Amino acid sequence: MNRKIALLGAALGISASMLFSGGSFAAQPVGMAAAAGPAGAVTAAGSVQISLDKTSIQNGGIIHLRGSAPAGVPVYVEVWSRRTVRADYFDTKMNKKTGNRPYILYMTNELPAYYRILVPTDRQGALETAKAKGRSWSCRAALKNCGAIEAFEAPAAIPIERYHVSVVGSVIGSRGNLLPAMSPEKDRVRAMQLLKMRFRRPDAILAPVVMTEPDGTFTAKIAVPQGSPGGTFFVRAVAGQNGVTSKTLSFQNHIAFPYVYLNVAGTSMDLFWPFLLSFVVCTFGVLMGAGGGFILNPLLVLIWPLPATVVAGTVMPTVLFSQATGIYNYSKIKFISWKLGIAIGLAMLLGGFIGPELTELITLSQFKFVFGIILILLAGLMAWQTTPGYVARNKKEKAILDQFQKKAREAAAKRAKPELETA
Amino acid sequence: MEVSFWGESFKVNLVVGCIGGFLIAVLGSMFGFGGGPFMVPLLTVVLGLPMYLVVGSSLLAIFFNTVMGTVRHFQFGHFDLLLFCAMMPGAILAGFVGPKIAKKLSPLMVKRIAVLGLLILGVRLLF
Repeated sequence: MNRKIALLGAALGISASMLFSGGSFAAQPVGMAAAAGPAGAVTAAGSVQISLDKTSIQNGGIIHLRGSAPAGVPVYVEVWSRRTVRADYFDTKMNKKTGNRPYILYMTNELPAYYRILVPTDRQGALETAKAKGRSWSCRAALKNCGAIEAFEAPAAIPIERYHVSVVGSVIGSRGNLLPAMSPEKDRVRAMQLLKMRFRRPDAILAPVVMTEPDGTFTAKIAVPQGSPGGTFFVRAVAGQNGVTSKTLSFQNHIAFPYVYLNVAGTSMDLFWPFLLSFVVCTFGVLMGAGGGFILNPLLVLIWPLPATVVAGTVMPTVLFSQATGIYNYSKIKFISWKLGIAIGLAMLLGGFIGPELTELITLSQFKFVFGIILILLAGLMAWQTTPGYVARNKKEKAILDQFQKKAREAAAKRAKPELETA
Repeated sequence: MEVSFWGESFKVNLVVGCIGGFLIAVLGSMFGFGGGPFMVPLLTVVLGLPMYLVVGSSLLAIFFNTVMGTVRHFQFGHFDLLLFCAMMPGAILAGFVGPKIAKKLSPLMVKRIAVLGLLILGVRLLF
């Protein structure tokens, strides 16, 4: 009991200190911005000028952008954060010419954690077309149809690693063989796929909000949603197909506690909610006799824009301590068959070695789909456990279990006594 | 394999147990759940072992998977410390509160509500 309380205290202490350091981290001073220019636009022939009405926002907000470009050309505005995040994409699409499947995992750690291209308002239709395609929308096609290919610049040169994934590699638990770097053009296309994997929806990447006047001046509302990363954001405008670019301006997104930026997940959130969710779900888990992971994981990916890998990798360790305590308690009264537990445990050790690597290879929709099936199976299993026949059998088993446990406890107490007397 | 437990001995079909355990472990570590609700039926229903042998031993077997899964997820950079620090206290607190509420509720009723909840969540994930 005391051990548990100490553990809880330690965990709370660590998390509290982490939160505060995270908070101050996010509120780093303005500056640094590589090419941050002063506000104020001056029109010059053939050039693109932009200005922002604010230099900082608090946990998301709206910034108005004004600018001028040569008259009659469409203007695109690229907005991205300095903070980066990991994204991966597993290519299993069959090559139409050769009929081979590539099985290549593309991965980067440097995708901007916030990225958006603002396109002219008249591109709404192209965006709707991409949205109508559902999950199979292509980021490249969407950018192309919106005319925004030229504006795709910031993530175009991010370092992307390629792994050739093989069955043997998966079994021995490696990501696969690292392949040589690609040409810049290919990198650019893969970066678009990674962008899709990360932001999922076309309207999370493209926003038709740039309003252009006949004289070439334009305005746009940059809406940074809550939950975006803190720190520096960059803004740049591109006009026309030949890509005349403006200076890069910057603004700050300040995030204050209880909002914190999750480095690995690439999202900032109010940490109270995951705490509450974990508490409610795990309490219910204790009641129904299943760990919290079954309910917690799908809820986490449904509620927040968290990658499946991060959800699986972060929820799993939370049960480590409760499992260890359970094993300790059972072992105290010698209520564990070490031989049986270790024999099957070794097979599970192997499974645990392979599983986490497979999480990277599936998309979020595949994750949801398989998880959905698992949950329905689990529901079936639990429904069967409420049938009268099972309940009657279970009652008998339970009585025997209680009897054995009582015996075990008494035996443990007896063993402890002589020690006390000698002490 | 022969297992003796509190003066009785049981025959365990290790091949079925290990293959089943392996599959549950792959899915469990892939999707980040423990797998207890699948492990216990595997050992009791499929292998025909009594409940009192299974409760502690299955927990031990699952622990192997949790440790390995945690290490591997950490190695691949899937672990978010801040998110973990937010959820961990909730999970520990639940370990204290859960058993207290459990005494006041009918386990059958809880299971039925759980079935309904799981079905809704499962269908929501599929579509």
